[in-house]
Amino acid sequence: MNGSLTFLSVAPEIALAAAVVLLLLVEVTFKPRAGAWAVVAGAGLAAGTALSAWQWVAHRGADAGTFWNGMIAVDGFAALAGLLVFPLAGLGLMSAWRLAASQGRRGAEFIALVMLAAAGAHLMAAAADFIMLFIGLEVFSLSLYVLAGFTRERVDADEASFKYFLLGAFASAVFLYGVALVFAATGSTTFYGDGGIADYLAGTVIFRPGVLLAGLALLLVGLAFKVSAAPFHVWAPDVYQGAPGGVTGFLAAAAKVAGFAALARVLTAVLGARADDWVPAVAVLAAVSVVVGTLLAIVQDDVKRLLAYSSVAHAGFILTALVAGRGGLGDMWFYLATYAVQVLGAFTVAAAVSGDRAGRSPLAHWAGLGRRAPWLAAAMTLMLLAMAGIPLTAGFAGKVAVFRAAIDAGYLWLVIVAVLATVAGLFFYLRVIVAMYLSGPEEAAALPAGPAVGWGARVVLTVAAAATLVFGIAPWPLLEVLRDALPL
Amino acid sequence: MDAPLRAAMDFPILSLIVLLPAVGGLIVLALPRRRGELVLPVALALSLLTLGAACWLLASFETGTAGFQFEEQVTWYEPWGVSYHLGLDGISLLMVLLTAFLFPIALLASTSITTRVKGYFAAMLFLEAGILGVFVALDLLVFFAFWEVMLVPMYFIIGIWGGERRVYAALKFFLFTALGSALMLAGILALALLAGDQLGRPTFDFVELLGIDLGRAAQFWLFGAFALSFGIKVPLFPFHTWLPDAHVEAPTAGSVILAGVLLKMGAYGLIRFNLTLFPEATVDLVPVLAVLAVIGIIYGAVVATVQKDIKRLVAYSSVSHLGFVVLGIFALTSQGLQGGVIQMVNHGLTTGALFLLVGMIYERRHTRQIADYGGLATVMPLFAGAFLFISLASIGLPPLNGFVGEFLVLLGSYLSLPGYAIAASLGVVLAAVYLLWAYQRMFTGPITVEANRGLADLGVREVALLAPIVALVLFLGIFPKPALDRVEPAVQGILDRIEMTTDYQVPQFGIEADLPEAEARP
Repeated sequence: MNGSLTFLSVAPEIALAAAVVLLLLVEVTFKPRAGAWAVVAGAGLAAGTALSAWQWVAHRGADAGTFWNGMIAVDGFAALAGLLVFPLAGLGLMSAWRLAASQGRRGAEFIALVMLAAAGAHLMAAAADFIMLFIGLEVFSLSLYVLAGFTRERVDADEASFKYFLLGAFASAVFLYGVALVFAATGSTTFYGDGGIADYLAGTVIFRPGVLLAGLALLLVGLAFKVSAAPFHVWAPDVYQGAPGGVTGFLAAAAKVAGFAALARVLTAVLGARADDWVPAVAVLAAVSVVVGTLLAIVQDDVKRLLAYSSVAHAGFILTALVAGRGGLGDMWFYLATYAVQVLGAFTVAAAVSGDRAGRSPLAHWAGLGRRAPWLAAAMTLMLLAMAGIPLTAGFAGKVAVFRAAIDAGYLWLVIVAVLATVAGLFFYLRVIVAMYLSGPEEAAALPAGPAVGWGARVVLTVAAAATLVFGIAPWPLLEVLRDALPL
Repeated sequence: MDAPLRAAMDFPILSLIVLLPAVGGLIVLALPRRRGELVLPVALALSLLTLGAACWLLASFETGTAGFQFEEQVTWYEPWGVSYHLGLDGISLLMVLLTAFLFPIALLASTSITTRVKGYFAAMLFLEAGILGVFVALDLLVFFAFWEVMLVPMYFIIGIWGGERRVYAALKFFLFTALGSALMLAGILALALLAGDQLGRPTFDFVELLGIDLGRAAQFWLFGAFALSFGIKVPLFPFHTWLPDAHVEAPTAGSVILAGVLLKMGAYGLIRFNLTLFPEATVDLVPVLAVLAVIGIIYGAVVATVQKDIKRLVAYSSVSHLGFVVLGIFALTSQGLQGGVIQMVNHGLTTGALFLLVGMIYERRHTRQIADYGGLATVMPLFAGAFLFISLASIGLPPLNGFVGEFLVLLGSYLSLPGYAIAASLGVVLAAVYLLWAYQRMFTGPITVEANRGLADLGVREVALLAPIVALVLFLGIFPKPALDRVEPAVQGILDRIEMTTDYQVPQFGIEADLPEAEARP
């Protein structure tokens, strides 16, 4: 294809990789203050965002195409993933800034890892070949494994990191085996173009689809692990609870965005011709996720663990949009984008309440927060109400969007399961609100002083609250835009 | 239509009515912490402005037409068929007036709130905005948004400023209501997409949805989803268990609003959506709803009789009274429906006033046990008089307002459901038993508890709170015509629609065609 575009197609990754290299070089050469890290990281992420924005403007819809021999796709889908992931990484860094700064010289590595993870996440969304997708997945995952155990003084952070690594590696292996079986069935690992998988499946009737179906199932399992959909979610609570508070938000948000971007492209664009095979499986996965995530969240006494199980339920809600196939992609993006911001905001508050490095955040830490730190409590309340799907928050608009898509696709039973789980979900979101507002001693003097909140966390919470309210009251412009975020 | 009138109709008065309290809530939140004394005046001023706007609505409302007035419609999102559509008919007019009328009183009755005052008044104003939004929304998704969002301030009002078991009560309130509304949301989405199959594009617009033809099975399931949500809110008999807890634990003003307006949202929803959107299912399911209503009437009254806690007694009396409303609605006669709507207003006034009175005595003695009182009439004659007056109105003594509503409900239901009407009339008798017996134990005879001897009678503020309610109770009892005139066309429109879309004939006096006895006749 167009030669001059070849390098521009991976320009966001190049920008981030350059920034990472520069950051590490500057760090070892000049040993600057933490402020210099912020400048380099900010420049890299801003460049990545700007290049994604350019790709969005220039290459969504008809102008989309693949590059590097069909390895990389430049389309609205990939561009949107960049527009989402790079700012999220920026916010995640702000949220984790005090954690990074407290790590001494290792702080630069922390920042580099977050940016590498962002680059990997974007690569997962832009990959047009299973091999490329696997590379993106590994870049992304390996960075996150390290981040989860970054504070080495705590044993449970090591445990979280190790558990994440072992199970993640296992899931990657499953995914890779799925790729191999799909290759065996279709003779290609490339998604698009002549001889690509989509082309092959659209033009060929496979009489014995056993190998293909097995491959499809393994792909689904591998990616379901990444997005923590039940029953492949068991790592999530331990990792979220063990990882240092400051980084958990990015961990949770980025994993969802990257995992779902890859899953959505593989299912709708590559295996779109076999939708009848995978849609029921996705529906079951969605139902199991919302039910298991919700029920297990109810019995948690630790807010970070609770949010982990709630993220399992949210994986189910997002999968609900996917049963509508391509038609549900805009709704999926809406839910994904707004949820990513909410979960980042919620974990930012958790980090402020229980400490940047702390793993656990027991409900007792939250008692009386409404009076100790009214703004922090208000922000958390908004995030929780949004996750619970209360109107005037983006969470409600997202729920309506995905439910609508699923009903339209004829999955009313799934929506009924999901709305019932939503109600049960209220129970645990309200538990946190109860702890913040309705418990603790009557006299404000008897409470410990409110936690200090860094400037980075303030920015993150302001952005998250604004986005949640704006897209809750007027979700339509964003929904309209996201209808263009389709894969090739 | 002449030009000034058209200009008046184009003015987005309904949006204004919803926005005024919401803006008030934001203003209250923005007040500096040092100026705590400003909170109540500001909140009150905004709620009075809302009342003023509602009165303007009343003045410019065109009586005698069935359609929606003051309509506003802006398309929000074409692909979903969502539009910001507000409108008002006679039924919603009364509900808006009731809401706007009770809120200033509730705010003024909240002087005993001393902790986190700003948050409290802001929550009350947001609650008012949400409730008003429910009554004027004509787009199902917008309606649902208001319906659900209003839970949040109410949850906090019960949960933060409530009594001892407030956390439990608030959670129970929230979960019960949310359970119903979750299925309603699924129903609303399914309805919009069914409409999409027929119109070629989905729509959440209530008026457009009236035009589509739903199959019998679809109507049945959708009716169930909506009725469950509304039935929990009303509350209909087996779904009422959240109500006594919420009422007892809520602060006085919370109880006033809960009983006065919130419960009406359920009954309003049944009339507005179930009767019109699912007429066939309505006609088929009349026996189910009527049985539940009658059980509610009698069960609520019996349980109220044996309560030792006066606030719980009033709470259970609500179950009984709302049973009358539902019976009136599902009588599917003009009289019954009108009576149901009027009874909604009446119950809002009298039960609201009863909760105010209970709150006043609770502030003095900090007990709600009936046994802790006795002979209060000698020390608090004014209070006793007000309590008796409101009790009599609640019982349905002519010429007070309760009589009009209950009489019309019984009349209307006797036409179509005579057996149920006879059983329901037992509820009227029981109402006299529980309220007058409570009055007797609390107010008559010698003073039994020494602590009650020094109680002060009602102060100026308290009289000022009760006076408007007492005046309205009398007015609606003696001269209900203005209210009925505004409700009648809307009710007739609903019944006409049921007659048109099903083979149901609305029974009338003198025409025996649809009486069960007539069918049985050889």
